Amino acid sequence: MRPAAMRAEFGIAAAVAAITGAMVLLDPAPATPWRHLYLAPVIVGGLRRGPTGGLLAALAAVLAYAPVVLLDVERAGLGTQAGEAVVTVILLLGAGALSGTLAAQADHQRHRYETLVAVQQTLALDVPLEHAVKRLHACLARRLPGATVGLAVRDGERLVVAGAARVTPGSVGAAVLVSGAARYVADVGGAARPRRAFVVPLVAGTTTVGVLAVERLTDIGTAERTALLALGAHVGLALENARLAALQRRFADDLADKVAAATRHLAEADRMKSEFVAVASHELRTPLTALQGFSELLVARAFTADEVRRIGDIIRSETERLARIVSDLLDLSRLERGMTPALRRARVAVDGAITGALALFTRTTHRFEVDCAEPLPAVDADPDAVDRILKNLVSNAIKYSPPGSCVRVRARPAAGGVEVAVEDEGDGIAAEELTRVFEPYYRTPGATRAVPGAGLGLAVVKALVDAHGGSVSAESGPQRGTRMAFVLPAAS
Amino acid sequence: MRALEVPEPGVRQPLFPWSSVAALSALGVVFAAVAWLPGEGRSAGVPVRVGALVLGHGALLATALEWARPPGAGRAGPPVVVGALAVAAVTAAVLPFGALAFGVVPAALWWAARRLGFRAVGLGVPVPRGAVALGAGLGALLGAHVMVTATMTVGYPVRVRATRELLEWLCYDAGASVLAMECFFRGALFDRAQRRWSFAAAAALSAAGNVARVLVDPLRPRTVEVTAGAVFYIVLLSVTSCWLFHRTGSLVPGLAGALVFFLAYRLLMPEAG
Repeated sequence: MRPAAMRAEFGIAAAVAAITGAMVLLDPAPATPWRHLYLAPVIVGGLRRGPTGGLLAALAAVLAYAPVVLLDVERAGLGTQAGEAVVTVILLLGAGALSGTLAAQADHQRHRYETLVAVQQTLALDVPLEHAVKRLHACLARRLPGATVGLAVRDGERLVVAGAARVTPGSVGAAVLVSGAARYVADVGGAARPRRAFVVPLVAGTTTVGVLAVERLTDIGTAERTALLALGAHVGLALENARLAALQRRFADDLADKVAAATRHLAEADRMKSEFVAVASHELRTPLTALQGFSELLVARAFTADEVRRIGDIIRSETERLARIVSDLLDLSRLERGMTPALRRARVAVDGAITGALALFTRTTHRFEVDCAEPLPAVDADPDAVDRILKNLVSNAIKYSPPGSCVRVRARPAAGGVEVAVEDEGDGIAAEELTRVFEPYYRTPGATRAVPGAGLGLAVVKALVDAHGGSVSAESGPQRGTRMAFVLPAAS
Repeated sequence: MRALEVPEPGVRQPLFPWSSVAALSALGVVFAAVAWLPGEGRSAGVPVRVGALVLGHGALLATALEWARPPGAGRAGPPVVVGALAVAAVTAAVLPFGALAFGVVPAALWWAARRLGFRAVGLGVPVPRGAVALGAGLGALLGAHVMVTATMTVGYPVRVRATRELLEWLCYDAGASVLAMECFFRGALFDRAQRRWSFAAAAALSAAGNVARVLVDPLRPRTVEVTAGAVFYIVLLSVTSCWLFHRTGSLVPGLAGALVFFLAYRLLMPEAG
């Protein structure tokens, strides 16, 4: 017991003794006015120690007053004075109980509001649910002295528990969690003294989001149970609010991340399109310039037949290049509008398609190595599309590998189709860039500076292969060259 | 946190098992029979006094032990304790200083309670010395008060007794009367009730039972003032003992308080005779 409380109780006992002494010395009669002084220590006892304190102080006063009364009853019988004494006894006991009850109620009310504020402050912090429950448990354990507090809060399918190791099926807590109805147990057992337990649901709306369990060795009265029920409802609501606030914060953070990513993506797309316009203009102007120059030469000068054939070859080559660029642009345009490239499927012999595609690249210093497995099934594909796929891949291999190096084209039967791979001996592509090479307009940072191009070729390859129901892949690594492969379905 | 971690027990034992109702009924019949004997109970013959003592206190002790018996435990405790009580009662009736034999009853109770795991009758748990002192102090306070009130009002002077007589009463209280009341009304009845109801309800039941037990006691003088005083002080003493038992889980503080109070009460009793 605290020294202050002990001082108060000694003071009450001393006051009762002093009043009795004064009464005995000055006016030892049951109806003496001195008896009213007992009210002072009785009310003080009630105010300081609640109903128990008030009643104990009243009992002490009654015990001290009794000999005076009994002596008078013995002398004069049950007269008016005895009646007054009975009234005095009732008054003292009533005053003790009433003052104690009122003081206890006021104290409980104050304590309840302080607890609610503390709970609110605890759950206002932006912390994960586990931390929030632990903090809440610590807060409630502080606010409910002499009691053991346990908390279990639902978090999806699992339970976050504080103050206990777990919630065992069949326990009072588990029953409350299922039923949503509070339970009072006069003794949960396991001790020489009975342990009272009161388990209340933590309610948010119509949902039980958890339970609050309070255990202690002394009684948990009706008023306290009502207060704990209110606390459970409040904690449930506060937990739900905290959960919703956390969800809202997470949603806002996610949204901000997505907006930032979209903004970055748009900026990148804008940059790539600007770059594309510049590059595409350059790419289109190069063959046009050649066509314009050679056609003017043919008009202005007389050439030998061999020279005319050579110039004709150049004009044809540049025209094909121009046509390829325009086709790529058209395909990409269809792709961006959500349309697939138009295909005219037929049986296509892959080895023949490879030979035909390589025939375009006669003016390069690269060596070509073709390796086709025997027998190689034909594929079910658009011959023009296959040609464009192969030319794009071989063209890329030539552009991104050193002059004089070897470009290998291999064809193998694959599951349900034929795999064609084009390998070069270039610098390779970094892993983080490899995932983006099939995006339209995307060009690796190194390629942007060193090699002309619009960033369309691989995007068109992917679109065409996808339209056939095939797949395309890229493997590369620094100084390991690049291997671009696609699979087309075999013809039945 | 047992409310969350431990499954609830399936079926709870009733407050009054039928076996104990029979024993308590026997106690009531015995006390009633002795009370109807000519004169007062103490003037009855030795066999009747011994029989009433053994059956009355023995029924309380045996019931307390029976209630505390865990399922499957042996049933040797009650017969041993009642047997010890019978031996002590006979010895006290026939031998000078024979009342000292009541000392074997607490020993037998200790043995029986140990076999049952002690705790169920409030024995064998750590005994807080402060609570024992508080119990003795409260017993002394009530004892002093009853002495003052009795001598001032109803003309019961405090009598200076021979040490032998006081010692005999003390042995009787410690080995039979007070021991049986505390064991049954606190260690058994109150303990079972407080595990079902609030402290106030359990203490009220225990105090009411204890008052009833004192009111049917054939040794109590049949006067209005003694009856009123018995009700008043036994209620206070019972509530005090219940509170001490509730706070400590031990029977010893309440036992100390009751022994001190009854020692004071014995000083007020008329000479035996």
